[in-house]
Formats: sequence, C-alpha cells, structure tokens
Amino acid sequence: MTFVLAFIMLLNFHSQKIDVENAWLRPANKGMNSALYFKVNNNSNIPDTLLKVTSNIAGLIQLHESYLTKGMMGMREVKYVVFKAHSTFTFKEGGYHVMLLFLKKNLKPNSSEIFFLHFKNSGTLKIKALVKKG
Amino acid sequence: MNHLKFPANIAKLFILFSFLMSFLFFGCTKKFPEDKNISGVNYTLLNQDSTKVNFPSDFKGHILVITFIYTNCPDICPMTTHNMQEVQKKLADEGIHDVQFAAMSFDPNRDTPKVLKEYAEVRDMKLNNFVFLTGNKKDVDSILHEFDFIAIPGDTTFVDKTHPVYFFTHTDKLFLVDKKGRIRTSFRGSKVNSQKLISDIKSLEN
Repeated sequence: MTFVLAFIMLLNFHSQKIDVENAWLRPANKGMNSALYFKVNNNSNIPDTLLKVTSNIAGLIQLHESYLTKGMMGMREVKYVVFKAHSTFTFKEGGYHVMLLFLKKNLKPNSSEIFFLHFKNSGTLKIKALVKKG
Repeated sequence: MNHLKFPANIAKLFILFSFLMSFLFFGCTKKFPEDKNISGVNYTLLNQDSTKVNFPSDFKGHILVITFIYTNCPDICPMTTHNMQEVQKKLADEGIHDVQFAAMSFDPNRDTPKVLKEYAEVRDMKLNNFVFLTGNKKDVDSILHEFDFIAIPGDTTFVDKTHPVYFFTHTDKLFLVDKKGRIRTSFRGSKVNSQKLISDIKSLEN
C-alpha cells in the first residue's frame, strides 16, 4: 500500500513540475524573425532553468530580453532563464521572449507551430504555439 | 476704513482671474506640447510598392500618425505597428478615413520595398491609408533627426557568411503630425494609449 501511494505521488509530482500555457508567436515571413511568448508555471519545490528552445521552423533560436534604457528600447540575448520554486514567469511582449531568427517558412495568423523547451531539471517539454497578430 | 477694502477685493479678483486665464491658456496648449514644423523639408522615399513618396509634402492636408521601425525587430516594432493598426481600425469603424498612417524603416539596407510589402501582407494590414516607407540611408537619417528619433545598430555577428545578425537600440515612439506638417505630440509606440491617441487625432481634426 505504501509503495502504491508513493508511486502515485511520484507520478503526480512529475506531471505537475513544469507546465506552459498561452503559447503564441507573431506572424512573419520566411527568412525574417519572430518572437515566441508563453507563461511558465513551476509547480515544484525546487527552481528550474530554461536552457534552450528548439524547433525546425527557425535557423537560429535564442532567449532574449527587451529592455528600456535612457528612453530607448534595446534587446539582448540571455543564456538561460531561472524559474523559482512555486512561481510563474511570463515571456511577454516588451520583456523576455524567445527569438526566432531566419524563419524557414511563413508564419501566418491562426496557424500553429511546435516547439521543444529544454529545462535543466524537468527535461524537454513539447508545446504548441498559435500564430496570432500582435 | 471700509472704502479701503474695495480695491483690496478688486485686487484679489484680478489675481483670481489671472490665475484662471493662465490655467486655461497653459492647460489648452499643454495638450500638444511639441510643435516642430517639418513642412519645409522634402525627401523622396519609396513605399512598399516601390512608388515614390515625397515626404512630408504628400501627407500635407492629412493628419499623419508616423513611427520608425525595422522589420527584423521581433518584439517592440511589431507592437507599435500593431497598435497603429488597431487605431486605424477604430477610426475606420467611426467613419474617419482621412488620417494617414506611416511606418518608415530606419534599416533601409535590409528593408527594401519588397520586404516591407511582405511584412504588411503577412499581418493582413490594410494599406488604403497605411504606408510603409524606405529610402536611402542619408535621407532616412535626416528624417530621423527631424523627429529626434534615435536608432543605434548593435554589433553584427554572423551565423554564416550570408546571415548577419544585428539589432537596433531605438527610440520607442510614434508621432502625431497635423495637417500643416507640424509634429504636435508623441506617444510611446509599443504601449500607446489608443483612446488618448484617437482623442488627440479628433482634436486636431476640429
């Protein structure tokens, strides 16, 4: 009985560690750039780290941050993003985003694309993101 | 002694009247604090169809909402153009069609008319009163200077020989230009208050 309960708790623990919602990306043309946004819920008792994002739709994918400096907007690459235990973090417009460079296809509104999010502790998470105007 | 109070009251009334008039005057003019006339300059640009556009003379007689972008910008510039698209739609819904919208590239070496056209098409933009502009680098820089708009390219890195990667740090603004070619006010482009922009457009219409 104890073994079964422990097994169920373990399954539950694994199913809720990290989840991602509201994933979307901007329309863009082949050869151009786009940005991917989503909300990350870290439900575990330990921090986790997004190391990289992969997909076959872009030639290069980087984690980026938009920032305001002296009244101007800039953008820089970040090597990873850490999510505290039991926290929510949103990749959003004007902030952290996943930069998609050298797109291999047109991204038209209302289509969707698959991405793989690679976490340090939670492993790889497959997500589907909707292309929408914004 | 009573007869001395009368002038004192008049003086108080005068001060109050002056204060009210000052408030009304400065209150009204503060609505559009910026007022730079750009009608004296003239540049020949190209739109997304490679048609020549005289800037700003071709927009004279129309209220112009203008911003500056580069199409390789994935985050801030699309927010600004999307905000303008939303305002364009709201004005059209209200039957206001004579306002012109323009997004001019500050990265003309990459943003050719063809690139600008594709940028508009993939976003389903209505180009009846929205134009994308590009031109030679010297003219573009001069126009940016007129608007006090700064765009600084960062270091270039190469993924391979044919794929340079560089981004800009740039001003995040859109501008409202009146029918006489005067820059009247500006907004933060990526986070514009649409209602305020529409309200200001209507104020300039009247």
